[in-house]
Amino acid sequence: MEELRFRTDILPLKNKLYRLALRITLDSAEAEDIVQDTMIRVWSHRHELDSLDSVETYCLTICRNLAIDRKEKKDSQVLELTEELQDTKPDFSTPHEHLVQDERLEIVHQLFNELPLNYREVMQLRDIEGKSYKEIAKILNLSEDQVKVNLFRARQRIREQFKTIDNYGL
Amino acid sequence: MDYKYIEQLMERYFNCETSLQEEQILRSFFQQEDIPAELLPYRDLFRYQENETIKDTLGDDFDTRILSIIEEPVVQAKRISLKARLYPFFKAAAMVAIFLTVGNAAERSFNTEEEQDFQQTTIINPGMSYQQATSPLEMVSKDVKPVTMEESQTDTLAALIKPLDGIK
Repeated sequence: MEELRFRTDILPLKNKLYRLALRITLDSAEAEDIVQDTMIRVWSHRHELDSLDSVETYCLTICRNLAIDRKEKKDSQVLELTEELQDTKPDFSTPHEHLVQDERLEIVHQLFNELPLNYREVMQLRDIEGKSYKEIAKILNLSEDQVKVNLFRARQRIREQFKTIDNYGL
Repeated sequence: MDYKYIEQLMERYFNCETSLQEEQILRSFFQQEDIPAELLPYRDLFRYQENETIKDTLGDDFDTRILSIIEEPVVQAKRISLKARLYPFFKAAAMVAIFLTVGNAAERSFNTEEEQDFQQTTIINPGMSYQQATSPLEMVSKDVKPVTMEESQTDTLAALIKPLDGIK
C-alpha cells in the first residue's frame, strides 16, 4: 500500500466523518471535535495501516467508535434528568439547521434523528453515504445480516412515520 | 408516464431489497418537480438523503486547524552514541584533573617559597646562623677537660720515643 498522504487521503473524508459523528452525537461542536480526533489518531498510526483495504472504512470505524464513546460519556453525565428535560427533543439548533428552509425536510431530519442509535447510524451509512452492506458491517462491527435487519426496521419505522404524517397532515 | 417501476423500487427499498444503484435511481427520480400524488409523501425522504451530503459539511477553518496540528514539526528522538553519552563525564573528569593539577602546583609553589624564606634568612643574617650552629657544639665541649699544647706535644713525643727504646 502506498504511503498515506494527509491532504489527499484523509482530509477529504472530513465531511463523511462529520456527518456520521453528527448523526450519532446530534451535536455539531462535538462532531467536529470527533472528526479532528479521528484524523489525528489515524494519522499518528499511519505506519501501521499497510494491511488496510480501505482507509475510508477504517476512518469511519474510528470516528463511529469515538462518537459512541463521547455520547455514552455525555449520557452518563446527565443521568438525573428531570421529566421536563426528558421530554425535550434533541437540540437541532445548529447553524445548519437554521439554514434548512424547507419545513418538510426539517421534519424528515427530525424523524431520522429520533430513530434509535443503531437504526440511525445504519441509515446514515446506507442512505446518505451510499455504503455497501459489507462496508457498513465492517464499520459497525456487525454481520451483514444484522445490518440488513437494522436497516429494514429503520426504514419500516420511517415509512410508518410518513404514513402518519400523510394521514394527519404536516 | 408509467411509475410502476418506481413504485416497485419503493416497495423493494422499504424491504431492503434494492441495490445501491437502484437507491440512487430513486433519489434522482425524486429530485424532479413532477412527482405523482401517490409518491409525493416520500419525495422529502429521498430529497433529504440527497441534500444531507451537501449541507452537513465542515468549512475551511477546520482544514486550517487540523493542518496546523498535523503538519507542525515533530521533535524526533536523536540517536546518541556511547561516546557522546559519556561526553559530560569526560568533561567533568577533565575539570577535576585540572583542579588537582592546579592545586598540586600551587601547594608546591607555597612550599618552595618557605624554603626560599629560610635560605634568605640564613644569607641575610649569617651571624645568627653561626650562633645557632655552634651553640650545641659548645654545650658538648663544655664537659671535656681542656688540654694544653705542651701536654698534647708530650703525649706525641712519648708515643714516638717508646718504640725507639725498643729498637735500642
